[in-house]
Amino acid sequence: MEIELTINDESTTVAVESDDDLATVLRRNGYKGVKCGCDSGVCGASKVFVDGEVKMACGVDARNVDGAEIETIEALGTQDDLHPIQEAFVDHFAVQCGFCIPGMIIEAKSLLANNPDPTEAEVRQAIDDNLCRCTGYQKPVEAILDAADRMHGDRSVAADGGSRIDSRGTDDTGHDGDSDE
Amino acid sequence: MSDDPNDPQTDGGTASKPTSEEPQEFEEHPLEWDESANNNKAPGERKSVSQPAEKFDDRKLVTGQAKYTADYEERFPDLAHAAVVRSEVPHGRVTAIDTTEAEELDGVYAVLTPWSDDVPDAKYTSAGQSYPEPSPWDMNVLNEHVRYIGDPIAAVAAEDATTAAAAVDTIEVEYEEYDHVVDPEEAFDEDAPQLFADDEVENKIVGHDYDRNRMSNIEGEIGDVDAALERENAHVHETEWETIRQSHAQIEKHTSLAYTDEDDRKVLITSTQVPNHTRRQLAHLFDIPIRDIRVKKPRVGGGFGGKQAMVVEPIPLALSLATDRPVMYEASRDEEFYAMRSRHPMKVRARTAVTDDGTIEAIALYALSNTGAYGSHGMTVAGNVGSKPMPLYSKVPNARFEADIVHTNTPQTGAMRGYGAPQGTLALEGHLDEVARDLDLDPIEFRRQHYMEVGDLDEIAGMMGGEGAERRIRSCGLDECIERGKEAIGWDDLEQPSEPHRHRGIGMALSAQGTGVAGDELGAAQIMMNEDGSFHLQVGGVDIGTGADTAFIQIASEVLGCDEDDIIVKSSDTDNTPFDYGAYASSTTYISGMAVKKAAEDAKERILEWASRMLDEPAENLETRDGEVYSEESGEAVTLEDVGYESVYGHDDREHILGKGTHSTEESPPPFAAQFVDVTVDEQTGEFEVNKLVVAVDCGVAINPGMAEGQVEGANHMSFEMAVSEGITVDEQGRAEVSDFDEYGLPSATETPPIESILIETHEPTGPFGAKSVAEVPTNTVPPALSNAIREAVDVRINEMPVTAEKVKTALDEK
Repeated sequence: MEIELTINDESTTVAVESDDDLATVLRRNGYKGVKCGCDSGVCGASKVFVDGEVKMACGVDARNVDGAEIETIEALGTQDDLHPIQEAFVDHFAVQCGFCIPGMIIEAKSLLANNPDPTEAEVRQAIDDNLCRCTGYQKPVEAILDAADRMHGDRSVAADGGSRIDSRGTDDTGHDGDSDE
Repeated sequence: MSDDPNDPQTDGGTASKPTSEEPQEFEEHPLEWDESANNNKAPGERKSVSQPAEKFDDRKLVTGQAKYTADYEERFPDLAHAAVVRSEVPHGRVTAIDTTEAEELDGVYAVLTPWSDDVPDAKYTSAGQSYPEPSPWDMNVLNEHVRYIGDPIAAVAAEDATTAAAAVDTIEVEYEEYDHVVDPEEAFDEDAPQLFADDEVENKIVGHDYDRNRMSNIEGEIGDVDAALERENAHVHETEWETIRQSHAQIEKHTSLAYTDEDDRKVLITSTQVPNHTRRQLAHLFDIPIRDIRVKKPRVGGGFGGKQAMVVEPIPLALSLATDRPVMYEASRDEEFYAMRSRHPMKVRARTAVTDDGTIEAIALYALSNTGAYGSHGMTVAGNVGSKPMPLYSKVPNARFEADIVHTNTPQTGAMRGYGAPQGTLALEGHLDEVARDLDLDPIEFRRQHYMEVGDLDEIAGMMGGEGAERRIRSCGLDECIERGKEAIGWDDLEQPSEPHRHRGIGMALSAQGTGVAGDELGAAQIMMNEDGSFHLQVGGVDIGTGADTAFIQIASEVLGCDEDDIIVKSSDTDNTPFDYGAYASSTTYISGMAVKKAAEDAKERILEWASRMLDEPAENLETRDGEVYSEESGEAVTLEDVGYESVYGHDDREHILGKGTHSTEESPPPFAAQFVDVTVDEQTGEFEVNKLVVAVDCGVAINPGMAEGQVEGANHMSFEMAVSEGITVDEQGRAEVSDFDEYGLPSATETPPIESILIETHEPTGPFGAKSVAEVPTNTVPPALSNAIREAVDVRINEMPVTAEKVKTALDEK
């Protein structure tokens, strides 16, 4: 069968086999940033936004998302113009093999959209199903905390070796919780 | 290098020390090391090395643009997908395979069995090691004699993965079943079912005794351990330790794509740590000249030793030959746990003889290693149980190590980060902690009395490896690792919880590793200069996500005095890059990095020669910096771009500036780590919480501190997992009881305590710019440090990994 999808703001019609999951369909159509690490919707490497919600694409039956709006890692920054979360991951050396990172960045984007000023515990909770074998999560957590600051201008909050200097109260950016910038 | 695979020197392997050996002369291991140019730049003078240069592929990785093996599929419109039929019995012989239905399925291109023409019948080992491999050739690509639930029997290529999987489901296998054995102690018994007939194995390893399922026995000794243990005033202590069957659990599954290119050569795009070894092993297996095989490594989604093996490559190659089209095989996550590789589970016994004043007179370890159905990395991993951790206490005069490596009908084991050292470190560091407590000694001062320091001749490292593995310690930051670690964990001012039934304790453990395999490594690199002053760096070294390519760029740019962006790195493609042994044994920065440094120095010499002519100044007055060659004497300078154009377009003796470097060494300097674990234990329930991990590491000069910290934290996470997760458990049939990440229990972000990594800089004169290794040593230390912390908190000892609340509670109840 064929389904209609809007992928990264572009409308498209894609062919879907009866047992295709969304990750397979996206990868088949060139969105290779969607990674498959587990076959079973648990490792988090295939995370994408489906109608604004984070889903593990390998656990989504493609036939059930006809008409959906999909956002993949390819919709964030480019190599020359990184999204602040991507920039923070690079600057913090939070990427090693990189296989789990697109999924983790998608989850981080969702977190910061809903909670622009998370604590370290909240960041860890948010990426709890993004399994990573390389980093021990330390630098990704630091990167996401730093990304929160980068996305909200001039607050002097800094990630420092995992212990965050919380300067809430100096926040005068007046952000409205929409960190999708 | 010896041609004998049983030679103990191959791949850090072990055997008894030659008795006729003369005592080592001091001169063979001089303390002073003749450093090549640029090696010892003070931190302030370094431009690229020890700076936080951006990891060169990060922008590709964070935008999803980087290409891993599976991402190449769209380049092959006629690509077929593979699936494998695996043994459902733990031990037996395949008597018949019915492939009729599979062959008739639409979209199936080929079905191969052990008897098919395109399936080689040669014996081989999957271990990706130097040649001849110090692992037995004991397996076939597809097996008639199956030895564990998971052994490959048949393979299918089909138009897509779904069809291939459907075809596999229709294939029926008939077996003649044999008795099986799962427990390594039982396997060792003479009456146990025998996995291998003697003639089923080639390239046999020292100490093999297949009647007793033993693939190898190794031992080594310095001094006289028995005499020391029997001495009258000796306190003899003995403890036993057990470790888990740990999975590499790299997120990218084993993936390999094979095709024949337009020049009729066989090409493998594959997720591997060992491209050159894989090329050689495939040539052996398929009887194809090495030159006609090309192994190309794209981005790799983690390896950790699981890809220091030719695990999947022969299957797509055989299917590609059979179907005359490109074939990709991607293992399933289930297969990752039951049919790829794991860490060798072991039991290790530690014994010491200690005098009243706390002097260790003798130390002995014995390991029983369960190598599973095949012997891949069996002898060399077991050797490192002794030869990595024991040299830490090089001041101890008598030392012995022995290991038996036995087969069971369980999943295959292999190389894994730490490579035996985690098992040995648990036994040794847990044991020493226990001895210190028995003798009421401070555990740190007790260790300090015996551990290595600069200038020591480390004979224990040579105890099993014969000459050449002995070494002089030229850099050692242990004291500072301990001091900084104590400070960071709060060793001296620990606050106890307010509830009386909860207790907090800190445990510590030390570790040493090696840097490459002494006398058994090779790295090579070439640099060519472009006329715009940029460089192409071709290096065989293998970046599997560690950032090695970036470290190579930093080393080259430091020598050449150019920006990191002016170096384009091409790595790990056997057609286009020089030879390299691969990414293992903590060797990459040290061995391949030194090759890069030598290549850059070679190119630089030519650059200075050309600039000398252009500036009319002797080359010795010239230096490179910021993309220029300049003279301190005259203040004159030419840009590297000027040199580039002049060298290829100038009118005199045109020359393409090329540098080459090859590095091989007898040295393997140890990096060091001091681990601290802060734990709170509830004595009513046995439940415990790890509050924080601190690990301080002396890796010499960190070529890129940010990347090095990342390596330390990732390694420590893996070590933490070994301490608290069950790993791959097996049932009575030897069947892996784990099929996905949920069952495996890889610690997630909330389950992982904060990890504080501390880099202690020393200067290792044998390494590029003072570097030694960093990626393995922090893999060794959490299990003993956690066991020690629990002993400190509630005075019970857990010596069987993983540490669980149940075990702690049982031990508390028995107290």
